[in-house]
Amino acid sequence: MEWFLGQLARFYAPENLGLLWQSIGMTIALTFIGVGVGFVLAIVVAIVRQSPGWGMLPFRIAAIGFVEIFRRIPFLVVTYLVLFLIAAFVKGASLFLIAIVAICIYATAYLSEIIRGGIESVPRQQVEAATVMNFTRWQTLWHVIFPQSIPVILPPAVAFMIAFIKDTSLVSQIGVFELSFRGKELVNQGMSGLFVFGMIAVIYFCLSYPLTRFGRWLEIRLATSRSQGPERQLR
Amino acid sequence: MNYTFQFGVALDRLPDLLQGAILTLELGLLGFWGGALLGLLLASLKTYGGPLLRPLANAYVTFFTNTPALIQIYFIFWGLPDVGIVLSAFNSVLIGLTLNTGAYLCEIMRAGFLSVRRPELEAAETLGFSRWQQIWHVIVPHIAKTIYPALANYAVVLMLGTSMAMIFGVEELSGRAYNIASENYRHLEMFAIVAGIYVVLTLGASLLLALVGRVAFRVKAKVF
Repeated sequence: MEWFLGQLARFYAPENLGLLWQSIGMTIALTFIGVGVGFVLAIVVAIVRQSPGWGMLPFRIAAIGFVEIFRRIPFLVVTYLVLFLIAAFVKGASLFLIAIVAICIYATAYLSEIIRGGIESVPRQQVEAATVMNFTRWQTLWHVIFPQSIPVILPPAVAFMIAFIKDTSLVSQIGVFELSFRGKELVNQGMSGLFVFGMIAVIYFCLSYPLTRFGRWLEIRLATSRSQGPERQLR
Repeated sequence: MNYTFQFGVALDRLPDLLQGAILTLELGLLGFWGGALLGLLLASLKTYGGPLLRPLANAYVTFFTNTPALIQIYFIFWGLPDVGIVLSAFNSVLIGLTLNTGAYLCEIMRAGFLSVRRPELEAAETLGFSRWQQIWHVIVPHIAKTIYPALANYAVVLMLGTSMAMIFGVEELSGRAYNIASENYRHLEMFAIVAGIYVVLTLGASLLLALVGRVAFRVKAKVF
């Protein structure tokens, strides 16, 4: 018990607190900026993948290739690839930027599949009706497809973002100062690994768990708004 | 500014990398089967565990799915020696991945348990099926068909997740690439090749799993 309190006092010592906050902020920033930008890019990729006509064929192939390749490479390897690629061509790029680029690439690949699923969930008749009513492609997308696919897209997209809070721990490997990097630093300063990593796990839990609950609430709420019957609510 | 790619030097080490790939597969398979057993146990506890064991299983799953696998392995590798448990890097990673996988697979399997509906069992009973016949002909096929796609998907995800082992110095695919790169300084080329190997490996795994699913459980799985 005394040992525990001693470690606790050291972990939350005033001089350490600033760095701890900074590392938590970094974890949150990496997640939100990376996944946010990734979401926007993913919409573009998903739309390109659905685009018709021969003229768009090369772009379609590029979009499919991008998604299929980057969904099959570990995030850690993507991070290293981006690190070495940027380090080879740009001198003095910041590690934060490199991490963000890696997260964006990864998030774009995964989220574009989620968005594609959402777009494909809209019944074809809806699109045909819009075409009959002389909607342009963009009008169809904006007024018909998007409003109906958002309830399908949001729950898995939020789940992906929450999962990414945890996955950002991997960028500590290239030296970005976030939560797990801070943990390793404290252990190197001679604190007990048992305590530090236990505490870091608890902090991650505190970040992730409320959002998980929010995601579940969102899923139930959106599912009922689409009136899929009471069966879905029971789960 | 001007970087000259030298894939030749890097490609010379391909046999070494493929040896690493075998370790990746090993780690992935062991972790998956260990995790599947743990997940089955947790899912049973969660469904039939009663008031004492159910919250315990719930707490386990909630905690392990809400903390990073990396921190869990850090805890095992650098935390447990404090209480006298010293594990090798490979074992730490394997145990960490197994514990983590167990929590995720529990959720998948529970969904499978819930997919068996009461009327189906009643129908089987009416037809005079014995208990074992019910399990073998009704419950198992039903559960298998429901959870197979999710399990197959998770197996591929886990295979990618094993790259975490490089952080602890395990010489699986990415770890070996990193070590070779620090000998020949072709980091970019090495990791590009490794990325290609991962794509080939997971694509092969997905195709194989889809084939097995189609033959064994009549699951129509999409590879892409």
